[in-house]
Amino acid sequence: MAFVLLAFLVVATGVIARRSYGIAQARALRDLDRERVQLESRRTQLQRDIRDASSRVRLQKTAEQALGMRVPADSQVIILAPGATRAR
Amino acid sequence: MRDDRSRWITGALALAAFALVCRAAWVQIWQHEYWTRKANDQQTTTANLPAPRGTITDATGLVLAESRTLVTIAIDPRAVRNIGALRRGLETARVAPNWIRRATDTTRKWVEIPQRFLPNDIATVQAMRGVRTTPVAERVYLPSESVRRLVGRATPERGLDGVEFALDSLLTGERGTAALVRDARGRTLVSPDGDGDAARPGHTVTLTVNHALQDIAERALADAQSRTGANGGDIVVLDPRDGAVLAMASRRPDPKSLAATAVTESFEPGSTLKPFFAGRLLDLRRARSDEVVNTYNGQMKLGTRTITDVHKAPRMSLREVIAQSSNIGIVQFAARLTAREEYELLRDLGFGTPTGVPYPLEASGRLRPPSQWSATSAASLAMGYEVSVSPLQLAVAYAAIANGGELLQPSLIRRITAPDGRVVWTHARRALRRVLSPEAAADVRRMLVEVVEEGTAGGADLAQFEVGGKSGTARRTGKGGRYAAGSYTASFVGLFPADDPQLVVLVKLDNPQGAYYGGKTAAPVFKAVLEGALASRDASIDRQRVAAQVRAPAESATADSVREVAAAAESRDARGDAVGDVPAVIDLTQPRGRAPALPARAVPSVDGLPTRRAVFTLHEAGFRVQLTEGAGVDPAPGTVLKPGSIVRLGRNQPR
Repeated sequence: MAFVLLAFLVVATGVIARRSYGIAQARALRDLDRERVQLESRRTQLQRDIRDASSRVRLQKTAEQALGMRVPADSQVIILAPGATRAR
Repeated sequence: MRDDRSRWITGALALAAFALVCRAAWVQIWQHEYWTRKANDQQTTTANLPAPRGTITDATGLVLAESRTLVTIAIDPRAVRNIGALRRGLETARVAPNWIRRATDTTRKWVEIPQRFLPNDIATVQAMRGVRTTPVAERVYLPSESVRRLVGRATPERGLDGVEFALDSLLTGERGTAALVRDARGRTLVSPDGDGDAARPGHTVTLTVNHALQDIAERALADAQSRTGANGGDIVVLDPRDGAVLAMASRRPDPKSLAATAVTESFEPGSTLKPFFAGRLLDLRRARSDEVVNTYNGQMKLGTRTITDVHKAPRMSLREVIAQSSNIGIVQFAARLTAREEYELLRDLGFGTPTGVPYPLEASGRLRPPSQWSATSAASLAMGYEVSVSPLQLAVAYAAIANGGELLQPSLIRRITAPDGRVVWTHARRALRRVLSPEAAADVRRMLVEVVEEGTAGGADLAQFEVGGKSGTARRTGKGGRYAAGSYTASFVGLFPADDPQLVVLVKLDNPQGAYYGGKTAAPVFKAVLEGALASRDASIDRQRVAAQVRAPAESATADSVREVAAAAESRDARGDAVGDVPAVIDLTQPRGRAPALPARAVPSVDGLPTRRAVFTLHEAGFRVQLTEGAGVDPAPGTVLKPGSIVRLGRNQPR
């Protein structure tokens, strides 16, 4: 009888431990998922900021106002065409 | 007696135990399904997982519209253990002070903050007891008015207008579900069993639009609007080789106008239609480009109507009629077409029918059948009146002139990619019909070059490249559908370069003030767009092909440019910067076409000079230089060649 009782206790402890471990893992998973969402959102925001900062609209305005630059006339653009071979 | 009592107690206990076992068997075996379902209902729940809407990118992969996850928060102040930390967290997340006060008021039961937050901004608050967060999707767009017009708007669930609406079924993903387990306190966790279906994001749509060209067009249109006082306008840039729309900018005074009006609004094109009549007449051999008609010194009576020309001449050839945009001339020539032939020409060009680009409410324009024409309709149509077209339709028609006569199906969509990376649709060139023979198209292109070089649209001329185009100035209708005095639509449609065009650029300005002619107002915008595109590295121009079509305005300018390039190169050499991949052919500008003929000259000696200095010397002498693998100069120094000839320079020459 004592052995049966002991076996029951061991099995019950195992079941409870497994369940507790499962719940802890699920919580960790939830936290990781939350962190993933946060990081994804941050990445989207940063990429958006980079796009805005490097957009032609923003850069051209800054180049013209702060640096006094302008879009060159077509006569001031020299197109270097790649030929059949390239220099090393 | 005692034994009897003992037996009774034992029997009763055994009976009770038996009843318990029976009840357990009843509950666990016969009622198993019922209790399992009841336990599941109490302990598990299902959550809907929103599907991220597909991303929209430009042709280079730049994201124009995408979805991101934000969160809303609701707080049970009485359950929060550290109110001070909550207050600090909310302050960091820039929550309005009155809502912070409410959220930290422990007499309240439940406070929902009416703001959306980046999950990162409320990470500390989110982890607190008594705080519940709900994810919400938000659509994020590139901050460009024209891109917004084109891409449209969408809620997280559905598209409202633009491409978002037209391709809604592809952009919308499939919702997923997740099984959650609930503990005794009602808190939920994702089920460790992993039951549920993952959400499937929508397809990624890649537009044909190039963001660099789009920015350039947008800026050029804004500048033109402020310079000319126009109410609004449109620019369409099209690749005439495959019908891809590379840029589409629109401006309207009405802030409620959110559509890409280059697709949704039509206008009377005016003189920009004349080249098509010339092309069809050439095709049918009813006219030659040098054939002359009487233009009556700029005034001609047609029934009760008087037709006038701005450029007055007694007679003009067909070529001059196009170059000077003579109304009288084109009416005279177009009279050689029957009403049915005129109608078929305009119908073949796609006018009166939507182009079929995936955009809601596309304008079909207006083209009436000959049965509804008046006595002067044929003449009006030849001058670009009594017909309305959308800017996109007109650009597509000019693409036919540019590509040798084929009307192409225009496309806004380059590619559609499934969430698993599989390309489910890709744009391919699709010719709808031939509207001009290649010979007639080439003749018309030459006429368009004359429009820019000698005719009404000198403002479109580029120094280094031959371009062609046609300006148009049409009266605008006002209230009651009658033409309003002093109200015009100025337009210009150009081809770049004129020979083997890579771009068709349509510029339309609504109601410009002052010098309102298309050649004066819209043509310079075409030039501004091309200058911006040439100065940009990523504006959909095949530079290798363009380099072969460079012409020089004057030798001095070329020499100046060469000096600047050589000085910059020498500066880099002096700093010891790695030169890297030096283009083997440096195709600098040389006189061609209209440039004056220059005398032949001897190839100079470049012995002992560094490569860059040698290139500079040869260019300064007026030659084009091709770097080769060998050694020496070919032809040899001292050989007399025409300026612009190619001189091969061996990069392995001992120096």
